[in-house]
Amino acid sequence: MSEHTMKTPDDPTLRLPQAVAKRAVPLMATGAVLLVAGILLGTATPGGMKFAMGAYLTAFIYVLTIALGALFFVLIQHLCRAGWSVTVRRVAELFMSTLPMLGLLFIPVLGTLFFGQGTLYKWDDPQWIQDHHPEWATNSKGFYLQDWFFTLRALIYFGIWSFLARYYFQTSRRQDETAELRLTEKMQALSGPGVILFALSLSFAAFDWLMSMEPAWFSTMFGVYIFAGGILSALSGMLVTIFLLQRGGTIRDEVTVEHFHDFGKLIFGFITFWTYIAFSQYLLIWYANIPEETFWFKYRQENGWTAISLLLPICHWLLPFIGTMSRHVRRRPALMCFWACWILVVHFIDIYWIVMPTVTHEMEIGLLGGISGVLVSLLCTLGMIGLFIGGVLRSGESAPWIPVRDPRLHESLAFHNL
Amino acid sequence: MSAANEKRIHGYTAEFSTVPSLLAACRRVRDAGYTQTDAYTPFPVHGIDEALGIRPTVLPWIALAGGLTGTITAFTMEIWMNGINYPYIISGKPFVSLPAFVPVGFELTILLASFGAFFGMLALNKLPRFSNPLFAHPRFDAATDDKFFLFIGADDARYNEEGVRRLLADLGSEAIDPVVEDDSSDQVPRWLINIGLTVALLSVIPLLFVARMRVTTSSSPRFHVFHDMDYTPSKQTQRLTTIFADGRTMRPDVPGTVSRAQGAYDPDFYTGIDMAALALLDPDRAERLVRFGMQPPQEEAPPAEPAPAAAAEPPSEPPAAEPPAAETPATETAATETPAAEAAAQPAVPPAPVDNTPWLKKNPLTLDEATLRRGQAQFNIYCAVCHGQDGGGNGLVNVRAQQNVVDNKWVPPSNISEPTFAAAVYPDGKLFATISQGKGKMAGYAAQMKPEDRWAVVAYVRAIQLSRNAAEGDVPAAELEKLQAAP
Repeated sequence: MSEHTMKTPDDPTLRLPQAVAKRAVPLMATGAVLLVAGILLGTATPGGMKFAMGAYLTAFIYVLTIALGALFFVLIQHLCRAGWSVTVRRVAELFMSTLPMLGLLFIPVLGTLFFGQGTLYKWDDPQWIQDHHPEWATNSKGFYLQDWFFTLRALIYFGIWSFLARYYFQTSRRQDETAELRLTEKMQALSGPGVILFALSLSFAAFDWLMSMEPAWFSTMFGVYIFAGGILSALSGMLVTIFLLQRGGTIRDEVTVEHFHDFGKLIFGFITFWTYIAFSQYLLIWYANIPEETFWFKYRQENGWTAISLLLPICHWLLPFIGTMSRHVRRRPALMCFWACWILVVHFIDIYWIVMPTVTHEMEIGLLGGISGVLVSLLCTLGMIGLFIGGVLRSGESAPWIPVRDPRLHESLAFHNL
Repeated sequence: MSAANEKRIHGYTAEFSTVPSLLAACRRVRDAGYTQTDAYTPFPVHGIDEALGIRPTVLPWIALAGGLTGTITAFTMEIWMNGINYPYIISGKPFVSLPAFVPVGFELTILLASFGAFFGMLALNKLPRFSNPLFAHPRFDAATDDKFFLFIGADDARYNEEGVRRLLADLGSEAIDPVVEDDSSDQVPRWLINIGLTVALLSVIPLLFVARMRVTTSSSPRFHVFHDMDYTPSKQTQRLTTIFADGRTMRPDVPGTVSRAQGAYDPDFYTGIDMAALALLDPDRAERLVRFGMQPPQEEAPPAEPAPAAAAEPPSEPPAAEPPAAETPATETAATETPAAEAAAQPAVPPAPVDNTPWLKKNPLTLDEATLRRGQAQFNIYCAVCHGQDGGGNGLVNVRAQQNVVDNKWVPPSNISEPTFAAAVYPDGKLFATISQGKGKMAGYAAQMKPEDRWAVVAYVRAIQLSRNAAEGDVPAAELEKLQAAP
């Protein structure tokens, strides 16, 4: 609890080092190039466009869930009027500020509907519906799964997210300058409806973009499952970012071991939450043993996917659960940084495990699509991460990395775990 | 102070008005080497643990131990109960089925971890405790209001009354007070012990009653707590009633009742028996079947059974000697089922009587591909689970039963392609009747399948028999060539 003098928003110590800030645009450009290269390479591989777009969707959903988790973090801090998190909230705000850009990056996925048939989504192929589910031609499922309706819903989701992200980021930035108390009250007032909109839109987006890849399969828990992985990864991403910023000197004693401890508790809790949701989804389907539900898991228990299916409970739950259980670990930022990186890796495996078995199920190209398949996935993922980090740096170029005039800043600076 | 001086000193308190002065005092006392210290504040004060030199608690380890105990207990219990002690198939899952055990394991882990945390906290704080010498301190109430107290216990290794007083005075404390030991008796009063003993003894009496009842018999009727659950106003089966002249509670069908059927009622189609022929042989039975749309009774079960063990009724009871009450299908089936099951258990039963029922020899349906497909679908739904999709008698139920039925009491389903089921000895009508009413352990499927579907299954069974017993010569020459040409 050191005595703290208030910094101004122009304080150079709260800014990114010039060497990092100027990398924003090159990083985004490199990311875009890698993405295009990944898709072009993908079309030339045995998996073809289908595999390339699968890899693209995996990378996209991976980054999107992190940005959405950050949006949820910001909303929930305002909803709870949290004090401890003020000094770390700006990082989440910068993460979520990439959501409008991610909306643009969704266009290629929409493109598969209009320039292909069933590339990613089987229901997009009239022949497939005719052969497998002719009743969809007349019923509500067929109505729901239409190109124009799917596109309209995507617009609504990104509209909600972009609006919330921009509103919270810009209002918070304005408070940096004006220090108005009213702005905090406005942000709190919107956070309740915001969380409801967020929950519905994320849930339906998960149904639309991931669950409908296997259109006959359904699990009402699926949206929560995606959310659980997203918020966990967002917290992990924030922890790693703050750890690095502290190393680089942008954030100094504003963030203490107490904040890391709280991140640790949240990460530990959401590891358990993810497992709870993932297992609940599995248990119900396993117990009922109805073919129309079990086949989704069956695809993930053959052709080598068994190993990944077993890897998830061990690496996404057991090891980090034990690893982050102790208070002594949570109070060591470097150790928590290790576990946060771990989570970021297994979250990618989780998303890959959700998307790719559906893509490769009818192809005979093996688990990862051979060397070329791995390369395609790698290029798409690195490209997407490059765009994301570049976007975050670009938003953070001109902003202080702490909301310096937040009315609860003192509370956060003095924060102390009991 | 004279009164206090006579009593033993429990420790000393120093009173402060601000958090910083308390924290500073705590650090001084800690650095002076005192360990039996405590601080009392109206609200949680950050950093006080460290200022007092309190070491991290072991409570997390107790909670962890509780949680692990819960996990291990739950899984051991479930594996023992469902896997070893009382193996019982639930939902077709294996006996030891880990996913199903996880929820209980999870709950017990949480429960015992919470118990560990809660009771561990109480134990570490030496709670519950009915009294504390500090309560006698005249100013201590302010610790819940606006004052901060630092306490040094007399049981500290470094304790020395003069030294403590000097140290506390040096800290800028506003008031330094001795806390006297509570020297009231810590003996439990005699009357309380007596009451406790009496209650304990009395509570054994009901247990003695229970223990006695477990080893003795009684001729008095059961004690009914909920009377209306034991005695319902509705009449039960096979009971007498005064409402009807014949005294039966189970009412026969009103004469002339016509079975529910689409279009005209065709008794042959619904029974598998040639009624015109039966009317010549046994007019009573034919009339009954026609009037009530009944199923043929099972005692005319075939001599053409795979084993004499599975034959129906012993010959001592001729088919004509039906029980008089056998005018409803329910009783008729009930009357025949038990002897059939008993017969199955006794291999040395003499050969069954000749079945002289004039069964329909020909399937009344038009035998085309649609009929066979319908029969195949119905067969695969209802029959294949036991008889297998090829009719060989090795369906999933049989496979599971062979793995799990330990006492050799399992009677495997018949192989329907055996010669005993050939059309010559087991006519279509009889096959239809068997599907409708069941046989041995097989249940009747009249309630599940429409008569048309049952006849379709009969046709499909004939197709299976044909395919299973086919010779090379049965295959058309062109097809045979194709097959031989295939690698």
